[in-house]
Amino acid sequence: MRILFIIPLAILFLQPPTLFAQDANALLKKVDENLMPESYEATRRLINEEPDGSKKEFTFFTIKKGRDKIAMLYLSPASEKGRATLRLGDNMWLYIPNVNKPIRITSLQSIVGGVFNNADLMQLEYHVEYDAVFSAETLDEQILELKAKNNTVAYDRLKMWITKDKTILRKVEAYASSGMLIKTLEFKEDKNFGNGLVRPSVIETTSPLYKGYRSLIIYQRIKPRQFPDEVFTLNYLGRLGELR
Amino acid sequence: MRSLLIWIFLVPVVTNAQDAPSEEKKLEWNGNLDAKYTVFHMAQSSALYRLQFFNFPPSSAYLSQYRIEPYLNADYQARDVGFHLKTHATYFSDDNAAFDLFEAYGSFSPSVSSVIQAGKRVFTWGKGYAFNPVGFVNPVKDPENPELAQAGLLSASFEYVKSFSSPQLQTLSLLLVVIPPTPDFLNRYGEAENTAFAVKASALLWDTDIDVMGFYSKDDQQRIGFDISRNLRENVEVHAEMSYNQSAFRYSIVNGNLSGVRQDQVSYLIGFRYLHESNSTLIAEYYHNGPGLNRGEYEAYLSFLTNAVNSGNGTIVQQALGVQNHFRGNTLMRDYVYTKLIVPEPFDLLYFTPSFYSIYNINDGSFLISASLGYKPATNVEFILWPTVLVGTRTSEFGGRIVHERIEAWMRVFF
Repeated sequence: MRILFIIPLAILFLQPPTLFAQDANALLKKVDENLMPESYEATRRLINEEPDGSKKEFTFFTIKKGRDKIAMLYLSPASEKGRATLRLGDNMWLYIPNVNKPIRITSLQSIVGGVFNNADLMQLEYHVEYDAVFSAETLDEQILELKAKNNTVAYDRLKMWITKDKTILRKVEAYASSGMLIKTLEFKEDKNFGNGLVRPSVIETTSPLYKGYRSLIIYQRIKPRQFPDEVFTLNYLGRLGELR
Repeated sequence: MRSLLIWIFLVPVVTNAQDAPSEEKKLEWNGNLDAKYTVFHMAQSSALYRLQFFNFPPSSAYLSQYRIEPYLNADYQARDVGFHLKTHATYFSDDNAAFDLFEAYGSFSPSVSSVIQAGKRVFTWGKGYAFNPVGFVNPVKDPENPELAQAGLLSASFEYVKSFSSPQLQTLSLLLVVIPPTPDFLNRYGEAENTAFAVKASALLWDTDIDVMGFYSKDDQQRIGFDISRNLRENVEVHAEMSYNQSAFRYSIVNGNLSGVRQDQVSYLIGFRYLHESNSTLIAEYYHNGPGLNRGEYEAYLSFLTNAVNSGNGTIVQQALGVQNHFRGNTLMRDYVYTKLIVPEPFDLLYFTPSFYSIYNINDGSFLISASLGYKPATNVEFILWPTVLVGTRTSEFGGRIVHERIEAWMRVFF
């Protein structure tokens, strides 16, 4: 009788680790699918809150296509209006309207100040940039450990909490290669954006490096939309507003 | 009669309202006001200072200046048609104010891949941060403030861009620019044969930005060049530019007289941008200015100005000021190293961004060193404190300038 328990357990533990990884990566892909359509346009507000209660707000118009193309246009405040960033895979550029010129930047660079950096705002899909393995689970959530596929990714490791019932992302912890916790992102307030997309509409970010500071990304609108590839070029960065 | 007028004026309005396409037309205004207060410690013994203040020399070595600079921009976009306007004014007093039309151009996009633009617009060719030897159609850049908005070029252009799904070649584009001749006759007419043409072909190839460009004008020099930019690592970007100017005009002082000769010149730049894990950015560039003066030529130029001032003759001074117009610009000599360190939010001071930069003249050892301390305490407001020191001997480029030091205080309000 004992053999009946031992055999399934042995099968479970003797499986090659890649099989677990494949399942974890499939789950990660599902998380991405539940967060965003593959190609979309979105309007987001970013609010940086400081310990004294003062706030700074930015509004962005974002477009994305496929696995590796994303562009973002600043709509407000006036001091940043017209700035745009483009990401093509690991390449990233910043366009400053005064200078009328795109310059190459890196994904680690902060472009709005505060807790966020480019990678937070120009996030491609998680499964494109990370390999996942199962870490642990709670009653309601599955926990994944993610490792960056290459060193161009902003955070070396992520720890991710995903609901078991609807595969919705609830929390992400981002770690440096040294193992230091850089920031925590919490995904809140599920909202129906239409076209079958129900997802958290607020991402709250805190960082032990900036005690007392808090950043919120609030998704106002997400809509599936197809774009020609030419929209994701340096030449088009100054014309992104034409798509609104 | 009255009903006829109503019919004429109102019916088209109603009809247009009914027939209006559903597209959303967008007219957006924005801009900023810069108020700038500057205190200068003047180099009273320099030839340039004595020349500028020949008729009315100030008694104090410390001068101040207060000016306001309003920028007003408008953008109108309705689907494939757009209009863009950028204006700038400088106000010192009611008697001394100037208005600049930085950009005013219309655009039409027959497809997402192509755009036709006509009017006055700014081109920014080149990958260099402080210098652009391939900026054949660019406004002259101020290396002390490369991100300052500048006046564009009267032109008409056509651009075509094509994307590819190949992992090697991702984008290819072509830009053609036609530049009308300068209106030399009655300030309205230019000779048609002096129309200039510029072309730039760009590619994103193997994750590298590559541009190849050319410029042709019958009455001016012909130029070709290329630039390149690439991320070597996740936090290191490298860039380079090279231009070959055929028959470029080069001025110098020979035997106490202005001499202009045509020579082929090569200018180039190499540089990098490094991002430290603290989010600090270091930019460094080496720039070789082909038509620039060598040390002996620069000293001959300064000697020419000094002799003009020492003559005490107003006519000779006026002639020297005329000659000086051929030596305008911030980098008159040949070899420079530019470095800039940007340290956003040091010591966890959010919204405070100091940056430090220097321009070092390799040919005479003089240099300029400066710090720009920017603080944005609230949305749409920025304060900048900007001290600058120029160091070098009296016969060097930076040491011989009109000021020893200056400190600027800016307040910028955006709307």
